[in-house]
Amino acid sequence: MRRLRWVIAVLVVLAAAAAAAGCGGGGGGGTIKIGASLPLTGDFSEPGTAARQGYEIWQKQVNDAGGLLGKDVEMVIKDDQSDQNIVVTDYNALIQQDKVDLLLGTFSSLLNLPASAVAERNKMVYVEPAGGSPEMFSRGFKYLFFAQQATAPHQADLFADWVTNLPEGQRPTSAAYVIADDPFGGPVADGIKSKLEAAGVNTVYSEVYPPETVNFDAIASAVAAKKPDVIAQGSAGLSDGVNLDRALIKVGYSPKQFFQASSPSFADQFSNAIGIKNTDGIFYAVSYHVDAKTPGNEDFLAAYRAKYNTDPPEDAADGYAAAQVLQAAVEAVGEVDQDKIRDWLHSNSVDTILGTLSWDETGAPQQAFLLAQWQNGNEEIVLPEEAATSTTIVNPKPAWSK
Amino acid sequence: MTQFVQVIILGLLIGGVYALLAAGLTLIFGVMDVINVAQGALLIFAAFVAWTLWKDLGIDPLLGVLITTPLMFAIGWAMYMLTIQFLAGKPASMSVLLTFALALVIEGTMGILWSTTYHASTPGYFAESFRPGAFYLPKAQVYGCVIAVGVLTALYVLLRYTWLGRAIRAVSENVTSARLVGVNPKKVAALTFAVGVATTGAGGSIVSVLYPFLPGSHYQWISRLLGVIVLGGMGSLPGAVVGALALGVAETTTATYISPRWATMVPYVLIVVVLLARPQGIAGVRLREDAAL
Repeated sequence: MRRLRWVIAVLVVLAAAAAAAGCGGGGGGGTIKIGASLPLTGDFSEPGTAARQGYEIWQKQVNDAGGLLGKDVEMVIKDDQSDQNIVVTDYNALIQQDKVDLLLGTFSSLLNLPASAVAERNKMVYVEPAGGSPEMFSRGFKYLFFAQQATAPHQADLFADWVTNLPEGQRPTSAAYVIADDPFGGPVADGIKSKLEAAGVNTVYSEVYPPETVNFDAIASAVAAKKPDVIAQGSAGLSDGVNLDRALIKVGYSPKQFFQASSPSFADQFSNAIGIKNTDGIFYAVSYHVDAKTPGNEDFLAAYRAKYNTDPPEDAADGYAAAQVLQAAVEAVGEVDQDKIRDWLHSNSVDTILGTLSWDETGAPQQAFLLAQWQNGNEEIVLPEEAATSTTIVNPKPAWSK
Repeated sequence: MTQFVQVIILGLLIGGVYALLAAGLTLIFGVMDVINVAQGALLIFAAFVAWTLWKDLGIDPLLGVLITTPLMFAIGWAMYMLTIQFLAGKPASMSVLLTFALALVIEGTMGILWSTTYHASTPGYFAESFRPGAFYLPKAQVYGCVIAVGVLTALYVLLRYTWLGRAIRAVSENVTSARLVGVNPKKVAALTFAVGVATTGAGGSIVSVLYPFLPGSHYQWISRLLGVIVLGGMGSLPGAVVGALALGVAETTTATYISPRWATMVPYVLIVVVLLARPQGIAGVRLREDAAL
């Protein structure tokens, strides 16, 4: 163990020396340097790689259009290996050694928590593409901005508002909450619960389960016995959502309205696991949809498809949107002045491919996620109307087809 | 009352499935003193094979048992010949190291062959239930229990009434005497290990229908299965059945009457309590070397 530490220490020194030798000078000249560290390997490598695609597509578009403030944009992207310690080292190196002019954030609340603290300490604006945990915004940071529509507790706001505004007779009177003990899924379900309870919807079941739970038979059986109109699950990933669905199909209980936090966004992994006919009517929330008619989305889609021959994943769009936010602020201020950029973002809104975004004093966004629903085996956006890809909302949810 | 009975039914059904999955593990330990940590990975491997047969050839996962069982038998035999046999005479803890390494190799192989995304077999009955009266019995779990009874009976008959079974028991009790009466211990051990691994053929087929799985799913299974056999008494087949049913019922009753938050924890509390009262497990046998403890 001690020898391993020595090896790592030597490697770090060598890497730092190489970095310093490779990019002395920095800043100024004909370029603007933007630094970021992303989880390109490790647990979050899939979303991290997608976010890099988003950053790079934005970079090419900006440079093709004459650059940022007339200067070419140069991106310095490091790999934090999904590690909280490495991400801190990376952002320190970006600021101290690479001397980048601007920063963009990393991926996930887990990594953005420590990384944003480095930026805050150096008084640099930090726009992050994915990290909506409430903990991010309870620290009183002034340079932090989250470039999605809302934090986790507000992820399902459109769903809650839609449910509580259903016409008399269709409006639910009871709801069950099945909540994963997870920093993201948990707050989503809690958010729905507080809105529905405020609107007078009776809570008949509310239990927290460990995210590694596999067998949902007992939970589904207990939920079904209460016959709730609404079921809202704060699922942590794909499998806990699928296993609750399957257990509900087995017990034979289908609620009138059914929302799940993350499981239904797994596209065909989700539909294959519960049977495509059983997906009909299930709600979830997303930040981005390829067919969304948001400003700039057509250009982004065309560029992404041309480069990667496929549709962009949500995470690539989130990265692109974070860069759009930074670009808008820098162009509006007309110079690279961190305090002015920060003040501008706190008092203005920005048009992005995720829609228009604005922030409160903690950097938490003030908009709403898109409300999506599975319809006839397809993923459709149903709310808000201006971004909708389907004009109908399946309601009530059809019975399970088995 | 209806709900209570329903919860017990659900617990017994999932317990039956656990018994099926734990049978091979306890057989291998009971006879060979090998704790096969790779049993969970082999189970998921069999699930992937069953999924492939279902997806590409349209073979029902339950029918697929007829293909996965001999395949897993062959894999088990090869594993013994290539690696496990060199453990002879080494302490059981060495077997944990070796089989954990094998589990990692199998996990990586599955990632290459089938990718690290979720897979699920969904034949017509995957989410259906039998509905006698006010109750419901999920079909996949019921079929799993039926297969469990079949596999456990077959193992019992094999051990009690066949020459191989007598040879297996002879080797587990006294290698030297077994050799004197003409038993080849190495051959018997290879067959035992292969039979133990072959049970994952049926287990994997059921798992592929019950829950979505990916290569990393084996960790959650092996921890639960080790719990089952520790509870029942390591090495005892009837003990594994009792342990599995107790674990299943503990899980569902906790989730219903205490909180789902505790459902994954309480079974292990149960294990601690049982082991305090009966260190050899519910049906375990106290050996002479344990008496000193």
